[in-house]
Amino acid sequence: MEKREAGAPAPTTWTILRVWTGIGLQSFGGGASTQLLIWRTFADRYGWVEAEELVRFWNLCQITPGINLVALTILIGRKLGGARGIVAALAGLLLPSAAVTCGLAAGFLAVQHDPAVRAILRGVVPATAGIMGLVSVSFARPLWRSVRSEGRRSLAISAVLVPASVLAIVLVRLPVAIVLAGLALLGVALFTPRHGLGPEHPASDPAGEGRAP
Amino acid sequence: MINPLLYFLLFLKASLFSTGGFSNLPSLHQDLIGTGWAVEAEFGESIAIGQISPGPNGLWVISLGYLTYGLPGAALALLAITLPPLLVLVVATIYGRIERLHWVAGLMRGVSLGVVGILITVCWTILRQPDIDWKGWAIAAAAFGLASNRRIPLIAILGLAAVAGYVLYR
Repeated sequence: MEKREAGAPAPTTWTILRVWTGIGLQSFGGGASTQLLIWRTFADRYGWVEAEELVRFWNLCQITPGINLVALTILIGRKLGGARGIVAALAGLLLPSAAVTCGLAAGFLAVQHDPAVRAILRGVVPATAGIMGLVSVSFARPLWRSVRSEGRRSLAISAVLVPASVLAIVLVRLPVAIVLAGLALLGVALFTPRHGLGPEHPASDPAGEGRAP
Repeated sequence: MINPLLYFLLFLKASLFSTGGFSNLPSLHQDLIGTGWAVEAEFGESIAIGQISPGPNGLWVISLGYLTYGLPGAALALLAITLPPLLVLVVATIYGRIERLHWVAGLMRGVSLGVVGILITVCWTILRQPDIDWKGWAIAAAAFGLASNRRIPLIAILGLAAVAGYVLYR
């Protein structure tokens, strides 16, 4: 079990399971509700995880394959209870919500040919696209702020790379993994700090100045 | 006839090479439509069910598993989305060692730009479905506007969209 800094006493494995089951059952409305509940539960209510640490965890989850919130659950679970904490947190978050999801899907199969249900879905499905649009904007916003502060070169490169990745998937039908790996390599080539104008750690490494433009 | 092992591996691949709940959609879409194991409509339906049900958005894959392959499909999908995020333990260790290296920030920037592009393709994939007309686009735009207000719960927006669908398409 990992050592924890000052604050609330360490929860038992059962407590971890119980708390995560509560999150798994209450978070109707998808990832946004889940994330908010995690924040309120662990940082605000119990103080088991510091806010700064939650932010650092979340950043690591962004570059981990798969669902970010599952990765976040794993990191919090490990901090609270080691390997057993991971299992308890994952079981609590995923099993109840997966069961509810199956129940809803089964209910849907029973009524899917009902014209009223089809009509309702024709309203709900495009709404999910709109919500996804907002998720895209939320992801783009912090990126936009740092790109803008870096100047025209960063802005121009980003303005090309984002639409290029969309076209690569939609028109060229390249696999998503290839597109992401390509963007990562282009990121190293185009955004690696030179002359202290890099994206994250300006002038953190003087050796970067020796690299080709 | 669905091959369970290949089915699981397709879901695992999609999850392994994605980041975030919906970025596995294009990969699953390519593979499951290609093998004939899913039809176009099942994607929109799974996303709708995933949006309504509790938990991360990424659990939409479980309803895709259920709709295309019943309970075994749901169980295989759950396993496939649980395994890849365990790599966060490796990522946390590696990142602790390399975060000061000068090229890591550029790599992260490239990945972030790619993630934004992928999110946009997800919206596009949903909106170009055959039964989505201009009214569907209007609902998408309205949902976008309402969701921008953090005080409006998503479930209320989905409820309004359901009412709009009933009124417009019944």
